[in-house]
Amino acid sequence: METSSVTMVGTKTATSSTKHHAKIAVNRFFANRLAVSGSILVLFISLICILAPVLTSYNPIEMNVQDRLKPPSASHWFGTDEFGRDVFTRVVYGSRISMGVGFSVVMITSIIGLIFGLYSAYYRRLDNFLMRINDGLMAFPAILLAIAILAALGPKMSNVIIALSVVYIPTVARAIRSVAITVREQTYIEAIRALGGKSWRIIWLHIAPNCLSPLIVQATFIFAYAVITEASLSFLGAGTPPPEPSWGNILNDGRTIMKQAWWMTVFPGLSIMMTVLGLNLLGDGLRDLLDPHTNKAKK
Amino acid sequence: MGGYLLKRIVSLLPVLLVVAIVDFIIIHLTPGDPASVMLGSQATEEELAKLREQLGLTLPIYTRFFQWIIGILQGDLGWSIFMDMPVTEAIWEHLGPTLSLTILAEIIAILFAIPLGVMAANRRGSWMDQSFMTFAMLGISLPSFWIGLNLILLFAVQFNWLPAAGYQPLSSGIFNHLKYLIMPAISLGIMQGALIARMTRSSMLEVLNENYIRTAEAKGLKMWIVTYKHALRNAFIPILTVIGLSFATLVGGAVVTETVFNIPGIGKLIVNSVLRRDYEVIQGTVLMIAAAYVFINLIVDILYAYIDPRVRYDKS
Amino acid sequence: MTLLKVKNLKTRFSTELGEVTAVDGVSFHVNAGETVGLVGESGCGKSVTSLSILRLFRKHSGTKLAGEIFFEQKELLTSSMEEMQEIRGNQISMIFQDPMSSLNPVYTVGNQISESLMLHQKLSKKEAYEKTIEMLSLVGIPSPEKRVNDYPHQLSGGMRQRVMIAMGLCCHPKLLIADEPTTALDVTIQAQILDLMKDLQEQLQMGIMLITHDLGVVAEVCDRVLVMYLGQIVEEASVETLFENPKHPYTIGLMKSIPTIDGKRGEKLHVIEGMVPSLHQIPAGCRFAPRCPFADEKCRSHPPDLIEVSHSHKARCWHHERIGIGGGNAIAIGNQ
Repeated sequence: METSSVTMVGTKTATSSTKHHAKIAVNRFFANRLAVSGSILVLFISLICILAPVLTSYNPIEMNVQDRLKPPSASHWFGTDEFGRDVFTRVVYGSRISMGVGFSVVMITSIIGLIFGLYSAYYRRLDNFLMRINDGLMAFPAILLAIAILAALGPKMSNVIIALSVVYIPTVARAIRSVAITVREQTYIEAIRALGGKSWRIIWLHIAPNCLSPLIVQATFIFAYAVITEASLSFLGAGTPPPEPSWGNILNDGRTIMKQAWWMTVFPGLSIMMTVLGLNLLGDGLRDLLDPHTNKAKK
Repeated sequence: MGGYLLKRIVSLLPVLLVVAIVDFIIIHLTPGDPASVMLGSQATEEELAKLREQLGLTLPIYTRFFQWIIGILQGDLGWSIFMDMPVTEAIWEHLGPTLSLTILAEIIAILFAIPLGVMAANRRGSWMDQSFMTFAMLGISLPSFWIGLNLILLFAVQFNWLPAAGYQPLSSGIFNHLKYLIMPAISLGIMQGALIARMTRSSMLEVLNENYIRTAEAKGLKMWIVTYKHALRNAFIPILTVIGLSFATLVGGAVVTETVFNIPGIGKLIVNSVLRRDYEVIQGTVLMIAAAYVFINLIVDILYAYIDPRVRYDKS
Repeated sequence: MTLLKVKNLKTRFSTELGEVTAVDGVSFHVNAGETVGLVGESGCGKSVTSLSILRLFRKHSGTKLAGEIFFEQKELLTSSMEEMQEIRGNQISMIFQDPMSSLNPVYTVGNQISESLMLHQKLSKKEAYEKTIEMLSLVGIPSPEKRVNDYPHQLSGGMRQRVMIAMGLCCHPKLLIADEPTTALDVTIQAQILDLMKDLQEQLQMGIMLITHDLGVVAEVCDRVLVMYLGQIVEEASVETLFENPKHPYTIGLMKSIPTIDGKRGEKLHVIEGMVPSLHQIPAGCRFAPRCPFADEKCRSHPPDLIEVSHSHKARCWHHERIGIGGGNAIAIGNQ
């Protein structure tokens, strides 16, 4: 009876302290104005992606020559391009390409990067091999590697996703590996191993959960890089091919007629900025929240 | 110190090998027959056969790889079908503008980023810190080519102060050279500057909490000595890492910036080669850039040892 | 002659959970040539007190200082930053707790000591270098002309602490504030360092403020002792008085937790019940009441003042008259 009451007191304080911590974390998130504005921006862009057909009655691809190069007006908020297409509509539909590419790249890099990072951290020999490949891949500037891959595979949205995934997997793998190595060195993992715990169980049930916070933070930043890089590739003509609208190729269309049609340069660019800014702010906020190391440094 | 250097250099060899293999594999990912892709659908069977022979496509892939590697070791990066010249020569012709552009961009980035990052850290939480960091946040969120386009709209189209595009070599006079390069260099440098400023600030904040900074203050040292002598040198290793990485990003960014400003550099060479499907040029140029990056990192490693004596004496 | 006089010092920090008062109305003085010990558990505010004297807080840390601190004739809390920089390291030196992290890893120890000399004594680089070697040999570092070019990570902990002391003493300060100068060191080196500080004190006639949680060290070197608990001084007395006739239950608790050489084997060491409360939850009455075996209703509701219990002996306890130690065996006597 004695002991059970002691345990109860113990659990009670433990839950109240977790509640306390959760409350601090939530408070801290909402106190972090940047993180809050970041999530609002990301949410806003995501809504635009989903609601694209509701937001506009124009067709993003169909040409309409008598309406070419009209400046912004009540009927064409962002003006029209040289084929008379509504730029607002193209920007709205372009968000689906940018966010779609970004999201797919994040999913692929997170899963493959997590697997590579974890196994690399756990098996020393594999680590040597995988990390040499990682170093090699990371020696290529991101855009250049993507361009080379796309030059070989041809400009297509699916190829853009493949190229950007190859480019960013090493970044995720390296981040996961460094966290996983510190977890692996901890005494309780040693203890489980000494007790005969199976390797896959240790990796996935004990090490992997500790890597989730840094993975989420990394993924947010990768999303931001992927959106910028996709735009750059499409701008160069190596990414999403026309007439499919993407922010990068609208900018490319607008480049030659920049003097006459400033709206084709300004609006897609602002959309890229808003998206990337939102993701970066969110990433910073999540890192403050989830990564104890930077928290300590900030005190 | 000698041991440290030797160890670093030896550790580069496998990385360089991986770089070469990855580069080779990517270019040979091309589905179908590169010769018919290059010549288009009107090509005759005879022309195709000739090109296949010239490209070495008749040989097995591993033979081609070893021939390529042996060529590289002899300083031969391949042959440009389109320009009808060695790839090394094509690179050499396009190198000057890219070097000028990236170096100027890096100088602009470092010159602004480090003092601003240090000031922000020293006055943590002040309005100055907050506005610097908001700008830095914007800086890492803007694609460099879009900044370039806006600069052109503003300074070339609107005010007509600077040329909208083009390039003049250093030999045409430094002023003329800079007149063409300043906008591209700013648009290219902003993101790197923002990254370096953010790293400087966070690294400084961490170091300013260290006990030895308190020791330095307790000695009665002036604030700027504490900041620049005692704190910045300790904070510099992560900053240097970002600067090292930034060279790679700058070269990558140069590909886009050179297209925007129509600068005849390496980036333009790569983009043109992609459009012309001049695969050996892509392969050779990408390899050279990746190798250059590996060597820049070697220099960064050497600088680590110079800045922090603990690296120098590290026996592990 | 009074060297340092602290009056009603209050140091407040702002934290995520609100503002805390880490030092709450502390007053004391240090005379020239005297060693004053400041004792208490970690977190009691002793280190914060010492940092407050030199105002070693970052501008944006949100630290607020109130009260008065006189060094000789000068009031430190209202002095300008330039005046403080003139005093720091020159007239008041500080030796920090952790020699491992208190030296800058990227400069040689010689560089770090001569920096002070060039700044305050206006020595040339060469003179400063020679003086540095002299100081290193004074603090007992073997072959100082070699060690002067070493980086901190090349020295052992004891050597680094000696370097810290050399750095603190090189400008012949009038007051030395030593924050746990020997905690990180093993016992033989501890004794050497304390002896060294004592020797130098006699030579230079400086006042020493020794911050420690170790009563053994206090008994060995201090003239007067201040005992701190949760941001306040709870007892102040000469070292003899304090050890013979402690009047605060907390002081007695601290003394009972020292192992004695004649203590029986297997006898359990005394520990003070409970934990130091957080600064966010300061008890309403006497701050020590929740952990005090003698606390009653009055203690829990009314905070006692620091009052003079006999000549130059002060204690902050409602029941000081009934508290003391009996015989050689440190036991508190109370009515309960």
